[in-house]
Amino acid sequence: MARINPEFTDELKKYGAFDPNACYNCGNCTAVCTLSDENNSFPRKMVRYSVLGLDSEIKASLDPWLCYYCGECSSTCPREADPGELMMSLRRWLIAKYDWTGLSGLLYKYLVASVSAFILLAVAVIWFGYYESFHLETIMHYGHYFEMGAISVVFLFILLPNIIHMWWLTTYKPGVKVPLSAYFRCLSDLLVHMFTQKRTLGCDDNQVRWFEHFVLVLGYLLLLFTTVFLDWFSSQSLFVIILGYIESVIIFVVTFDFIRRRIQKDQEISKHSHPSDWFFVIWLFLMGLSAFFVRLFVDLNILENNIWLYLVHLIILVQWALIIVPFGKWTHFLYRSFAIYFATLQQAAIKQNGKKS
Amino acid sequence: MSEQMKSLEFDVLVIGGGIAGGEAALNLANLNYKVLLVEKELSIGGKMIMLSKVFPTLDCAACITTPKISEIARHPNITIFTGAETRKITKIEEHHFEAIVLQKPRYVNVTDCTGCQLCEQACPVSVSDQYQYGLVGRKAVYIPFSIASPRAAAIDIENCTLCGACERVCPTQCIDFTQTEEEFLVTIKSIVVATGFDLFDPLKIPRYGYGTFKNVITSMQMERQLAPTRPYNTILRPGDGKMPDNIAYVLCTGSRDKSLGNPICSQICCMYSVKQAQLLMGALPMADITIYYLHIRAFGKGFNEFYAQAQDMGVEFVKGKVGKITEKENGNLILRYEDIEQGKVQEAEHDMVVLSVGVLPNQGISDAFENKKLELDPFNFINQADILASPAKTSIDGVFVAGTASGPMDIPDSILSGGAASAETTSYLRRALL
Repeated sequence: MARINPEFTDELKKYGAFDPNACYNCGNCTAVCTLSDENNSFPRKMVRYSVLGLDSEIKASLDPWLCYYCGECSSTCPREADPGELMMSLRRWLIAKYDWTGLSGLLYKYLVASVSAFILLAVAVIWFGYYESFHLETIMHYGHYFEMGAISVVFLFILLPNIIHMWWLTTYKPGVKVPLSAYFRCLSDLLVHMFTQKRTLGCDDNQVRWFEHFVLVLGYLLLLFTTVFLDWFSSQSLFVIILGYIESVIIFVVTFDFIRRRIQKDQEISKHSHPSDWFFVIWLFLMGLSAFFVRLFVDLNILENNIWLYLVHLIILVQWALIIVPFGKWTHFLYRSFAIYFATLQQAAIKQNGKKS
Repeated sequence: MSEQMKSLEFDVLVIGGGIAGGEAALNLANLNYKVLLVEKELSIGGKMIMLSKVFPTLDCAACITTPKISEIARHPNITIFTGAETRKITKIEEHHFEAIVLQKPRYVNVTDCTGCQLCEQACPVSVSDQYQYGLVGRKAVYIPFSIASPRAAAIDIENCTLCGACERVCPTQCIDFTQTEEEFLVTIKSIVVATGFDLFDPLKIPRYGYGTFKNVITSMQMERQLAPTRPYNTILRPGDGKMPDNIAYVLCTGSRDKSLGNPICSQICCMYSVKQAQLLMGALPMADITIYYLHIRAFGKGFNEFYAQAQDMGVEFVKGKVGKITEKENGNLILRYEDIEQGKVQEAEHDMVVLSVGVLPNQGISDAFENKKLELDPFNFINQADILASPAKTSIDGVFVAGTASGPMDIPDSILSGGAASAETTSYLRRALL
């Protein structure tokens, strides 16, 4: 039996949706969507579910993640119900629902909660600096440990359980019988999509955005690797130093362009920005920029006298690693690729079951 | 300038000579009021005279319009200006308006023209025929269409090469290149605005490929192909002249669409599409007709039965708005839509697509009013100030509205509205005497 949640659209509005109730079910959005196909026809189905308040159906669906937001459905919607932004808010809502801690929902719905969390962490870092008498080497030493620690803790205790939760909601609970071998066979899909986001290319006119995004993801992952495992800030290797510079430049240049687009709102996709979108791009921009300058100050030998710069970088890093990565928009990196993985699994299951019968 | 302007005096100025304006003019003339009917096109009869048949009775549209048109044209109390525009309307006081009517040159003396068409044969210039909605060509000197009123030639001076061939062959010497624009100062007691509607231009929806894909046509073009005075004498797809056997209708093209600035229903597209589908089944007995719809609005008397009749005849109705049309090499078209009943994206191939274009306000007449404002409704149709008590009343006392100038409506409603406007005009004119 389907359960109806009459407050669902009101709840969704807190996640950024506009007026899904305006929809008159013409199906234009699904028909213009180049990613929609016979197996996964969206976004109208999601709009319908949202209007009816069928939140458990949405929870079990992978469709929101299969949309890469070209915005065509929104710009051509005869009712201006903005299906594209609805899909975006469903993704935010799903991030909140997958998160077992429930903190994501809190941060998405209440700006005050996000801002307080950011301030709290900033204060904690400054307090830590004060506690260590603003001794650069110690702080940098612990900063480096923090990076490694944060990565493992966030991954093991937040992201991994959340992905398992997502699998449970979308694949196990609806009773999809996936043959075990498929989990291994489809693994390549997961990795390809995780690192290339090639599905975006199926959207119309998305080539430039895909390229920027691709370079950004690459730059970000490499910078993460370079700082955490190659210890960029203390490295003596010229190769590592230059590599880090290039990566950090990529990050702040690309994110600067993303921020510019969100301000200019020249494309459908950049028209609506939820606070979580701003946090994501701005913090990524600040991370790239502050990391770049920290290393520059190291090379110019002036970081010792400008310890504030490293503290600023550390504040941004801590906020990023403890708020945005586990509970914010960062998670779309995982959920998007896992959604494609699960969708391929479901197709494999349908094929398998079809053979049996 | 105004000293040289010819002055004319009438009781009522009717702006627009379509079926609503014509009805209003005729009623008023029969009540012995002197009426000036100003029509911007070269013939009166409006859109109705171009149509094939009317729904739901399937009566021939031209057979209803032409007798009416000729009655209007021959009426002693009606003066008709075709190819003319009304400008600068001033309300001096109650029952006293002044307007300037601009008569554009036709370069043909209408009273002398016999409609022999020798000039058409002589003319070397061929251009697209706007009265056949671009389906065929016409000459630079041309009779607008075979049942036009007046059935007289006109010269399209923009495309004319001034070669003089028509002048030489004209047996009555009615061609006159010396004609110039003429302005008339018209004094009237009351005005009926019956400026009708515009059809939605599907070029505004590039994803439907109208204008690029030759076998995508508008419903008005199909209407011409089905009319008794049809250009091809059968149904052909314009791309290659093949007889289509799998025709699709795309409803709500430009209607009920906020993203195109027209959020309202055009009220006629469902029914004219159902009507065309039935006519096509008669014209092309082997053809499949599919109508892609959002909701079928068959609200009038006998409409739903008419819709059911189309279903019984085998017209297929698919619920879903067509999102995109692509063209195949052979000129066939692929329609992408979501089948709402199944909730799945589908693609279907058709060899001809008819876009059921909607009704848009014919804007501009409100700008002609100088000292009083003719108010528009939120959709830019003329606002009916007191829609329930006095539906023809506008924001200006003494100015009444008839037909689709006030909003989308079908032919019977337009005629009713023309009747209402004439009645309200009469009562306004009678008040002057009391």
